[in-house]
Amino acid sequence: MAVMPDFRYIRRQISRSRHQSLVFILCVALSMVTLVSLGSFSRSVHSSLLRDARTLHAADIIIRSRAPFPADFEAAVTALEKENAVESARVYEFYSVVRKVAEDDSLLAQLKVVEQGYPFYGQVKLASGRPFHEVLTSGSIIVEQVLLDRLHLQVGDRLKVGEAILTIADVVVSEPDRPVNFFALGPRLFVAAADLEALDLVGKGSRVSYYILAKVHDQRRLANIAKELRGFPSEERIRVETYRTANSRVKRFFDNLLFFLNLIGIFTLLLAGIGIQSTLAALLKEKEKTIAIMKTLGARSFYIISHYFGVALLLGLIGTLVGLVVSLALQNFLPSLFRGFLPADIGLGVSPVAVGEGLFIGFMVVVLFTALPLFGLRDVKPKAIFGKEEQRASRHGSTWLVGGACAMFFLIMVLLRIRELKTGLYFVLGTGILILAAFFCTTWILRQLQKRDEDPLIFRQAMKGLFRARNSTRAIIVTLAAALTVVFSITLVEKNLDASFIQSFPADAPNLFFIDIQSQQKDDFLKTLGIPATTYAVVRAPLVAINGERIDPEKERGKRGDNLGRTFNLTYRKFLLDDERIVAGKGLFRPDWKEPQVSVLERVLEMRDMKIGDLLTFRVQGIEVSARISSIRARTEKGLKPFFYFVFSKGVLEDAPQTFFTAVRLDKERIAPLQNHIVARFPNVSVIDLTEAVTVFSRIMAKLSTIIRFFTLFSIVAGFLIIISSVFATRHARIQETVYFKILGAKKRFVLAVFSIESLLLGLISALLALIFSQVGSWIICWQAFDLTYRPFIGTSLLLVMATALLVLSVGVGASLPILTHKPAAFLREQSDE
Amino acid sequence: MNILDARNITKRYFVGTRQITVLDNVSLSLNEGEFVVVRGESGSGKSTLLTILSGLDRPEGGRVFIAGQDITDLREDDLAPLRNTTFGFVFQSFHLVPSLTALENVMFPAELANDMAAREKAAKLLSRVGLAERTESYPHQLSGGEKQRCAICRALINEPRIIFADEPTGNLDSANGNAVLDLLLELHRERNTTLLLVTHNPEVAGMAERVVNLHDGRIVTDGGHA
Ligand SMILES: Nc1ncnc2c1ncn2[C@@H]1O[C@H](COP(=O)(O)OP(=O)(O)OP(=O)(O)O)[C@@H](O)[C@H]1O
Ligand SMILES: [Mg+2]
Repeated sequence: MAVMPDFRYIRRQISRSRHQSLVFILCVALSMVTLVSLGSFSRSVHSSLLRDARTLHAADIIIRSRAPFPADFEAAVTALEKENAVESARVYEFYSVVRKVAEDDSLLAQLKVVEQGYPFYGQVKLASGRPFHEVLTSGSIIVEQVLLDRLHLQVGDRLKVGEAILTIADVVVSEPDRPVNFFALGPRLFVAAADLEALDLVGKGSRVSYYILAKVHDQRRLANIAKELRGFPSEERIRVETYRTANSRVKRFFDNLLFFLNLIGIFTLLLAGIGIQSTLAALLKEKEKTIAIMKTLGARSFYIISHYFGVALLLGLIGTLVGLVVSLALQNFLPSLFRGFLPADIGLGVSPVAVGEGLFIGFMVVVLFTALPLFGLRDVKPKAIFGKEEQRASRHGSTWLVGGACAMFFLIMVLLRIRELKTGLYFVLGTGILILAAFFCTTWILRQLQKRDEDPLIFRQAMKGLFRARNSTRAIIVTLAAALTVVFSITLVEKNLDASFIQSFPADAPNLFFIDIQSQQKDDFLKTLGIPATTYAVVRAPLVAINGERIDPEKERGKRGDNLGRTFNLTYRKFLLDDERIVAGKGLFRPDWKEPQVSVLERVLEMRDMKIGDLLTFRVQGIEVSARISSIRARTEKGLKPFFYFVFSKGVLEDAPQTFFTAVRLDKERIAPLQNHIVARFPNVSVIDLTEAVTVFSRIMAKLSTIIRFFTLFSIVAGFLIIISSVFATRHARIQETVYFKILGAKKRFVLAVFSIESLLLGLISALLALIFSQVGSWIICWQAFDLTYRPFIGTSLLLVMATALLVLSVGVGASLPILTHKPAAFLREQSDE
Repeated sequence: MNILDARNITKRYFVGTRQITVLDNVSLSLNEGEFVVVRGESGSGKSTLLTILSGLDRPEGGRVFIAGQDITDLREDDLAPLRNTTFGFVFQSFHLVPSLTALENVMFPAELANDMAAREKAAKLLSRVGLAERTESYPHQLSGGEKQRCAICRALINEPRIIFADEPTGNLDSANGNAVLDLLLELHRERNTTLLLVTHNPEVAGMAERVVNLHDGRIVTDGGHA
C-alpha cells in the first residue's frame, strides 16, 4: 500500500502534542548547535592556524637539534646549497634575560636568532609595516610590544642582550611559525644571526634549539632531499622533517583540545539523542489511544509508522533550522570565547562544511533515535482503547536494543571524529563504565527508596511520583549524573590546578630557577647569589636503547603524553632527596655492583615498563653511556621542587659537558633585583620566575576551562531537556494526581510540596552520584595526568550539588506549575471519557 | 438552617462558537440529614449540578451556600478543608489515584486530616465492602465494581456531613450494590449525614426521602416520589 503522507494529519498530531514537540525540536536544535559550533571552531582552527603547513613551519624542510649541527652535516647542507637544490637559513631559539642599558631592569625573553632568508614562507608582520628582512639587520632587534611595555622602552631604545647592546628597530605583530603565543614564558625578541657571536650566549650545554630551515627549489626532490639528510650518519639526534610530516606544537595543542572538545560534543550528542528518543516516546504514548483506534479500524503498522516518521522528520527539520539560527547567533559570541587562543584577525564564521556535516549527522541522530519508539508502534494493541494502561513499563528487550543502538552510534561517532582507535575505545569504555555505574547505583538507590513506607504522607507521595508510569526517573538520573560528572570533574580539576600552582604556591617550593650555569661559573655564581642553594648538574641526553633494544624516537613521539623519544635531563649524586623514597631496590645504588648504575623515577615506568637490572643506554654528546637500573624512586610529595627522571651513580657523567641549575625561594620583591644582579654578571644564565610562568599557565587554564565549560554546557542543557520532556510525558498523570488530591481536600501547598520533593530527590540523587564519580575521576586525573596531591574541595562540591538540586527543582516544579492551576471539573469530565 | 443552599444556578458551555445552557436557573436546598435522589435522562445535567454544588466547578450565575457559607467564589485552597472533611465524593467514573493501592486511596483523605487511625479505618471500611483481599491492589488491577466500592470507602472515611454520589451503584450487581447502599444509608442514619445521590435505579430512588427530577437543565419536579 503506497501511502502519501497526509500533511494535515501530521500537522494536527504536532499541534495536539505541543509540549513534547517543542522539547523534541529543542533536542534536535541542541545537537545541531553542538555539531555546528564545534565543527566551525575546529574548521577555524584548521584554516587559520593549520591550513598552510608550509607557512606554519616557514620552510619546506625543518631540521632541528638540541646541539650544534656536526660539521659534516653542515657540509652536506652546504653541498645541497651549492648545487642550488635548496636555500637554507639557520635559526636559534632560546630563553635569555635581557637588560636595560642604563637602569637595573631585566626580563626573560624568548630569543629567536635568524639568518637572512627566514621565513621562506609566510611573513613576519611588523608594526611599522616594513619588510622583516630589511629591518632585522646587524645591530637591530625586533621585539614584541609586551617587552617594551614591561621594560618601559620605545622603538629606537637600546637593550642589552647577552654581551651585546642592540637597538630596538621595530615591534613584531605576528610570525608565521608561531601563530599563537600563549605558551611563551617571555616576550619574543628577534636578533640577526650576524649578532649571534656578539651575544656570547650560545655555550655548550645551554638549552638552545638549533634549526636549519630549508626551502627546496624543486618540490619533486623534497622527499628525496629530506630522506638523504635523515639518513645522514649522525651521533646527535637530528630531526629532519618536511612541512608535511612535521608536527608543530601548536598543532599538537589544538589537536588535543579539539580531541577533547569532540569527546564532549559526542557526549552531548548522545544526551540529545536520548532526549529525542524519550520525547518521541512520550509523544507517541500520548497518541496510543488514537493509534489503537486506527488499528482497530484496520490501519496497518506501516501506515501508522510512516505517518509518525513524517511527524519526527518535520519536527527534526524545524529543530535543524532552529539549531542553525542559534548557531549563527552564537558566532557573535564565539570570538570572545576564543580570544587569545586564536589569532586576532581570524574570522570565525559558520563553515558550510560544518553545516553540511551537522545536517547529515543530525539527520542520522534523528533517524536512529526515533527508530525504536517508532517501531514500538507495531506493538500497540487495540486493547489500549480500554485504557488499561500498564503501570510498570514492560521491558521486553527493547531497553537493551535502545542501549545497543546508542552504544553503536556512540562508537561510530567516536571513531569518525577521533580517528584514533585505541583512545576512542578507551573513551567509549570509560563512558560505558560511567553510564553503567550510574545505572546500577541509580537502580540500587531507587530500590532502597521504594522499600521505605514509614515516611510522612508528602514524602510517600513524592516517592510514588518518582515511580509513576512513563516517568523515566532512572533514565533522567543516569543521564544527568553522567553529564554532571563531566562538568563537576572539570571544575574540580581546574580548582586543583589552581590551588596547587596558582593560589597557594607552596610556601617552601622554590619560585626562582637559574638554569644553564656553566661548570666554571658554578662557584662564582653561588657566591654572587649569596643565599645557600643546592646546585644540580644537568647532562642532556636522549635515551637510545633499553637492554640493547633501540628506541624509535618517531614512534615514541607519536604517543599522547610524555614519551621516551625526547632528550632527558640526567644528573648524578650519591644521596636521595628529602622528597624522594625508594620503591624498589635497596638504596639508591648497589654497593656490590661495579658497573655504572642509574636510579629511575617511578613515572618513567608509565612510558615503558622497566625493572631493576635493565640496562639503559643514553647518548651523551655523541658517546653512548650504559647504566644498569639499581633502584626505582618515587616522589613523596607532588609539587614544584626540581626532580630528575634519571640519577646516575658517581663516576659516569662527571666529565660529560654539563650545566648546573639551582632553585631558590625568594620573596616577590627581591626577585627583580637579584635577577638584574645575576644577569649583569652571568648573561648566559637564564632566570625563570615561576610565579610569572604560573601566571601564563593560569591564563591558559582559565581560557581552556571556559571553552570546555561552554561546550559542556550543551550537555547540561540536554540533561534538562530530558527532565522537561519527562515532566511533560507525565503531565497527564500529574494533572490527574493534582486534581484527585485537590478533590480529596489537599491544598496547593501539599501538591507543590509533593512535586518539589520529587524533583529535589531527582536532582539530589543525580548530583550526589555525579559528585562521587567526579571525585574519583578528578582524583585519578590529578594524580595521573598532573601529578598533583588531590584536594576534594568539599565546600565547592557541596555547592555544586546544591546548585544542581535547585536547578532541577526549579525546572521540575516550573514545568509542573501550570498543572496546579487546573480547575477539577473540566479534567474530571475528560477523565470519564476514557 | 439548610446544610446546602443553591440559588439560581446557571451553567453554560461553549462548543465551538455555540453556547449551550446545561443548567438553567436551578435552585435546590437540602436539610441536614436529608437523603435526596436526583434523576433525569442522560445529558440532563445531573453530573454538572453535582460538581457545582460541591464546589468542583464554578457556575456562570447563582450562588452556592454550604451551612450558610457562600462557597461560590472561594479559592481552591479555601475549599480544601471543606472537601477533605465536609464533603465526600463518589464519582460516576471512580477517579481513584492510579499510583496508590486501594488501601492507600481510601486512607488518603484521613491522612491529609492527620488521622492517626487512618490505616485501621480504611482497612475496616474495605472489608465491609468485601475488599479485604484487595487492599494492596492498584486501581488498574481492580474491576469496575471493585473500584466503585473502593471509591465509596474513600468518600466515607472522614465521615463527611454531605455525600455527593454520582450513580454509585451503576456498575454493581445487585448484591454489591446493596452493600454499598447499606453503607451509605447506615452513615446517613447513624451520623445524620446528608446524601445527594444521582441514580437511574428506581429501587434506590424509592428509598429516598425526596426525589428531584431534572430535564434539559431545569428542575421539573422536586419532592415526594417519582
Ligand atoms: N465541557 C463541556 N463542554 C460542552 N458540553 C458539555 C461539557 N460538559 C458537559 N456538557 C454537556 O452538558 C450536558 C450535561 O452533561 P452531564 O454530564 O451533566 O449529564 P448527565 O445528566 O450526568 O448525563 P449521564 O446520565 O449520561 O451521566 C450534556 O449534554 C453534555 O454534552
Ligand atoms: Mg452523569
